[in-house]
Amino acid sequence: MNRRSRQLIPSFQRPISRVVIRNAADYQKGLGEIILESLKEFRLPVQAKTVLLKPNLVGLDPLNVMNTHPSVIAATREAFFKLGASEVFIGDGPAMDRDTEAILESVNLRSFVGSLAGIFHDLNLDDVARVSLPTRASRLKELYLPKTVLGVDFLVSIAKLKTHHWAGVTLSLKNMFGIVPGGCYGWPKNALHWAGIDNSILDINAAAPPDFAIIDGIVGMEGNGPIQGTPKPAGVLIFGDDPVAVDATGCRVMGLKPEKVRYLARAGTLLGNLETAKIHEVGEKVNSVRRPFSVLPSFSELVAG
Amino acid sequence: MIENVKISERQIVNDGCGLVQHFCVPFLVAAQNQDGGWGFETKSESRVEPTCWAIRSLLNSGTSVSEQCLSSAYNYLLRAQLKDGSWPAMPQADTGSWVTSLACSVLSVEKKYENNVCAGLNWLCNDYPRDSRLWRRILGRSRVTVSSHDDSFRGWGWTPSTASWVEPTSFAMQALYDSRESWRPRDTSNRLELAAGLLYDRMCPSGGWNCGNPMVYGIAGEPLVLSTCWALLALRNYSPHQRKTLSLEWLANTFPTITSTASLAIARITLEAYGNALPKTRHRLFEMFDARAFLRTVLTVSWTSLALSPKRTWFPKVESSL
Repeated sequence: MNRRSRQLIPSFQRPISRVVIRNAADYQKGLGEIILESLKEFRLPVQAKTVLLKPNLVGLDPLNVMNTHPSVIAATREAFFKLGASEVFIGDGPAMDRDTEAILESVNLRSFVGSLAGIFHDLNLDDVARVSLPTRASRLKELYLPKTVLGVDFLVSIAKLKTHHWAGVTLSLKNMFGIVPGGCYGWPKNALHWAGIDNSILDINAAAPPDFAIIDGIVGMEGNGPIQGTPKPAGVLIFGDDPVAVDATGCRVMGLKPEKVRYLARAGTLLGNLETAKIHEVGEKVNSVRRPFSVLPSFSELVAG
Repeated sequence: MIENVKISERQIVNDGCGLVQHFCVPFLVAAQNQDGGWGFETKSESRVEPTCWAIRSLLNSGTSVSEQCLSSAYNYLLRAQLKDGSWPAMPQADTGSWVTSLACSVLSVEKKYENNVCAGLNWLCNDYPRDSRLWRRILGRSRVTVSSHDDSFRGWGWTPSTASWVEPTSFAMQALYDSRESWRPRDTSNRLELAAGLLYDRMCPSGGWNCGNPMVYGIAGEPLVLSTCWALLALRNYSPHQRKTLSLEWLANTFPTITSTASLAIARITLEAYGNALPKTRHRLFEMFDARAFLRTVLTVSWTSLALSPKRTWFPKVESSL
């Protein structure tokens, strides 16, 4: 195992996080260049390293509104190769449908990435290792996690900018639910729900922390997300090496208060920076790209005034 | 070597029986691990689920398979059984799971496994999903309604003491039907009736099933092929029901647009088990199987083999009554 749980640093000792915000009107023009230039801002230690991209693939989605768009996945893969990575894999374990092949076909990933042989890993069916949970936030003391995730040098969460009917929002931290293997926990991964969604998110991200986070907000989803919501064009991509800061920025772009999202509020004490004062915005400013997203009535307290 | 087995030769690809005999069976035999089990993929660690499907596929292939291959596979399953009678979904785990149903189904073919199957079925019937417990139901009624379930029904969960879901409920029902009547725990019939009720209750409004969320916040859920098939197969021996008919219609209408090997294989078995003629599809199963080599997992190969095997005894083809 090359990856180790990142040490938990108390919030008052953490340095300021940098988040890059870029306008991106659509999934075609100049996307590769935007992603490469944004990654270069971070001088990522990926030279000769193995990288795993963890997109958000949740279901059959021919219109590409609920899943991370395949052009973002392909352009990110290309960018990491340009930065010197030796291998760039793609892996996910969809939560609601065990037919990963059907999901991949519906989003047409092959036509963007080429052959997926040896590149795509169905994390639901991966070999697993037992991992202790350093945060013990949920009732789970340990989780079985895919050896592919634990074995790569650099893990990237590529989320979609979406609201979520149980968690409030689903961004790069919630996206990590997808590394928990359905082959062990089922479809959906119901044991995590019973252990508490908010606390499970913290446990997963502490046990297998993403080294980098990207949010595809070119077209997001509002309302009854993550599957049955309404497409919401926001024209933005968000990047950062602190997933909590990236998610906090994603919330602010959606016009939502990150400190009111329960799991993000706790992540701000355990895993990364949440407060605006501790996030340095590079590129666009949140105020210039804000597109208010609607939420279900049960999450109305998230809406910024 | 698995890599040396070529299936692109037209004489094999154009003939489903040939695919079973010349590719699927050799693939499964070569993918068997030293410990007798199979992993989800070749060269991966043995797990109960792929081992069960590989055994079932080999037994139904109509091709002779060595006694040693099958006996070591059964022995893997027997060694994997936990003291409480259940089977775990992953190695090293000490908690049982939904794969107990699959193991019981597969071991039910042999009388000598009676004790193992009885212990497994007892464990299954003693596992009650937490969402159907009385205090949870009272608690649930005091909250804002997210879904429209009738929580008086009770099925099975993926893991113990969680909630009822369509697929583990279907597999548990199947395990009980596959076993001899004298092997089943007492009160099985009541549990089966509650489970069948749960499946009908969790059906999507347009027919078919997803994992078990037919409506969320008043919006109808989309059915999925595999969940629909497992539910229909579990309800195969139940008397005709309007909801079953609606779901079969959904599956038949969806069949031509299925784009994955696994779903197409299981959908084919399901429709044939109900005596339905197979609708024309854009993708033929063996062509799709050939094109998607990267997803040739033990499950995909096993299900494809089962779907194409003319000598299948597991949900065999039923001639249409029309």
